[in-house]
Amino acid sequence: MLNLTPRIDPIIQSLLDDRDFLAQLLDALGSPLALVLPQQVTKNVTAFRETYRRHHLSGRLYYAHKANRSSALLRELAAGDTGVDVASLGELQHALGAGFTPDRIVATGPKNREFLWLAARAGATVSADSHDELAELAGIVAGHRLPRVPVSLRLSGFASPGVRLLTRGSRFGTPTGELPDLLDLLEKRADQLALTGVAYHLDTIGLPEKAVALENCLTALDECRTRGLRPRSLDIGGGFGVSYLADRVEWDRYTTELGQAVLGRRAPMTWHGHGYGLRAEGGTLRGSLALYPGYRPVSGAAYLDRLLGTPAPERGRPLGELLLDHMYDLDVEPGRALLDQCGLILARVVSVLRRDDEILVQLDINARDVSLEEHGVLMDPVVLPRAGDRRAGPAGVYLLGNLCLETDLITRRKVYLPVVPRPGDLLAFVNTAGYFMDFSATRALHQPVARKVAVYRTGGVRRWCLDEQYWPVHPRQEVS
Amino acid sequence: MRLDDITEAIGDTPLVRLDPAVHGLENIDLYAKLELLNPFGSVKDRAAWQMARPLLARGAPGDTVVELSSGNTAKALALLAGMHGRPFRSVTNRMKVPEIKELLLLLGAEIDELPGRSECLDPTDTDDPLTRMYRELAGAGGGYLHTDQYFNELNVEAHVHGTGPEIVKDLDGRAPDYFIACVGTAGSSTGVARVLRRHNPDVEVVGLVGAKSDFIPGIRTIDEVYEVGLFDPGVYDCLATITADDAIDGLLTLVRRCGILTGPTGGGAFQGAVRHLRTVDAGLTERKTAVFIVCDRVESYLSYVRDRRPEVFGRPPRRNSIRTLTDAEVAAAPALAPAAAQRWALEVDPLVVDLRSPHAYQALHLAGSVNLVDEVLAGLLHAGLPFDRRRPVLLVCPVGEKSARYAALLTRMGHPDARSLDGGIIAWRDAGLDLVR
Repeated sequence: MLNLTPRIDPIIQSLLDDRDFLAQLLDALGSPLALVLPQQVTKNVTAFRETYRRHHLSGRLYYAHKANRSSALLRELAAGDTGVDVASLGELQHALGAGFTPDRIVATGPKNREFLWLAARAGATVSADSHDELAELAGIVAGHRLPRVPVSLRLSGFASPGVRLLTRGSRFGTPTGELPDLLDLLEKRADQLALTGVAYHLDTIGLPEKAVALENCLTALDECRTRGLRPRSLDIGGGFGVSYLADRVEWDRYTTELGQAVLGRRAPMTWHGHGYGLRAEGGTLRGSLALYPGYRPVSGAAYLDRLLGTPAPERGRPLGELLLDHMYDLDVEPGRALLDQCGLILARVVSVLRRDDEILVQLDINARDVSLEEHGVLMDPVVLPRAGDRRAGPAGVYLLGNLCLETDLITRRKVYLPVVPRPGDLLAFVNTAGYFMDFSATRALHQPVARKVAVYRTGGVRRWCLDEQYWPVHPRQEVS
Repeated sequence: MRLDDITEAIGDTPLVRLDPAVHGLENIDLYAKLELLNPFGSVKDRAAWQMARPLLARGAPGDTVVELSSGNTAKALALLAGMHGRPFRSVTNRMKVPEIKELLLLLGAEIDELPGRSECLDPTDTDDPLTRMYRELAGAGGGYLHTDQYFNELNVEAHVHGTGPEIVKDLDGRAPDYFIACVGTAGSSTGVARVLRRHNPDVEVVGLVGAKSDFIPGIRTIDEVYEVGLFDPGVYDCLATITADDAIDGLLTLVRRCGILTGPTGGGAFQGAVRHLRTVDAGLTERKTAVFIVCDRVESYLSYVRDRRPEVFGRPPRRNSIRTLTDAEVAAAPALAPAAAQRWALEVDPLVVDLRSPHAYQALHLAGSVNLVDEVLAGLLHAGLPFDRRRPVLLVCPVGEKSARYAALLTRMGHPDARSLDGGIIAWRDAGLDLVR
């Protein structure tokens, strides 16, 4: 049995233990169904704040909205002290409508004129990716006689001392060498643009690369100061990660066996011998495992803590202390890490077939409704059997999606379940709020997109409502 | 011994019998093949020379020697390339041992570290570092001499002609009964095993690999060995796993009791050998011999050992350290809020000491202050008070936490008026008080 048991928080476990409640929701709202737990998100905020406190740092925690389209999660965060990182016009509108004041919003990513205008009109901070974007923004501000817009400069292409630390090229940000051009523009457009700081975001889990980037940004901030500008913050983006699996041993064993299966040294573990990026060449394993590291000993707020404790490659002092020495705010943009344990997706079992000694479980959900596979995250769903009948098991099964498409498997891996599901059973894909819930969902074939429900507690009672109906205004919380 | 060229010193390393009192095996003579005595310091000298020699003879003068290595192969190739006036570039997945990184830079190597894993996964990006490097080298259209240690048969040849026959010669023409080797590129274990089996088909070959998610320099983990072109599981009668802890235990035993300055790989080989041999020792009725390889030297791994066994470097606590302060002492340290501190400073003209890093100090500081980075001040304080007792001191740090500690320490050391800026320079700034460049 090659299980990949997910890490399950007690709140999610208590939901799983209440099968009748979940079954009623699914009967009413259909399969698939997404559940978000807005109150859980504040726990993750607290963990990040604790890391800030330990390093005596101040600064803004911007929730990366793209991780989930949910209104409930966004509104709950608006009720607290976090900010939000919006990467589209629609997300900006959503954030403003959820109650975020503009000083708590940063606009990132590709931006069209409309997005730039609304950000500038509202007074949100614009994280500019290039000289052209900055110039366009200044033009919009001048042309529409808008007040000065706070901007931060997203930088990329950082140099490392001694050893050349290679980093995956990014389509975002301005190469550090071109900073003087940006500063020239800021000086010229001082009536339209007010510099708040600099930013980077690296798509890597590697601390050394991030340490190089952070130190380079400190140098860039020094350069801004020598030009007479008054930057106050360094935004280090997101990428703090989540540990999805409960047990390192299971993850280690699974990945070892996968390599052996690809080499043909054991029975296949995947649909059509899929190798997840690994391939065999002359008895040697080539390629690289295209999977998210399911078990991560250090993730989320603890990863930030580790980064802040990492010595700066050049100056030698821990990065957190350098930030503090310079009196800069530290801004972060976590998405996945803030949504750890904040949601799950339910699906109903339609049928169970046996073909060529394999068990095929047909579900009323498709791979885009729960896009774990697309993001390379492997974890087992939890089976919630209908009461009454006995189940065979344990067994390895394949989970098939509801699209009329050969490739629509929820995962191409054989999933080992404690019991063989039967039609009518539910499968719960836990911890799927961050990126797996609605990022890729589609109405292809007129299949429904999952409805989204917010589950919360108030006055000691569990309640639920449709996601768009949720507002963080619970009667019992209010003091009369 | 007189040589025309340092490469002539490669090979012919000693085979040393270890004291049974150390390893406790009763019926087995355990020998260490001291590859650390190669001129560049490791077993890789052999393979590096064997692989580089034909390339260097053939290549154009400006060609760069290039290899995927984060350790001893890179070190040997850097030296060999340097001797031939060629640049050397090491591409590495992660250079995890800082001393080796520094050493390679000192040797004149260029080091490229490959990026870490992606946080937002791209399932279509499945290139392994080697494939990526092949493509880069092909795209460059020449100018590179790639030794390709994980796939180059010459890596094995070096041991078929060197290491293996040397062991047999030193054992009076007989192969040992057991051969234990750590698997890195699989070059030395494969080459030696081939020679030994020619002399004694019954020789038992034990391959040692790292535990998954563990890190032992120079050893591949149980998964990683399958990515090595030279690795053939058929070479080994069994594959056993060792941990970083085993490697350090073995290292300490060989260093402290046998006079062998081994690195962790050799330590792991010793530990793995003894563990395996203990299981057969008691049942033996005649004497047997076993050989393992000591790959390289300890000096490059001080930080590796320090990270995992800080107690090995245990030193007595230093005098006058802020670590020895009690919470009560820190709480009692005199502190002044920004406005009060400003008034006091005008009144008594204290020495204002800014404990922050130099760049931060240069960007903004209190007028008239001096910059003594906390680490520097800590060093001075070990020896005693660096300030005159007659002049008051105001200590400044970002939030008033470190300054409180140092004020407490100065007070304990007999300074009559050392105060901390409460809330630090951030509170000073937030109070709207002056800062200068």
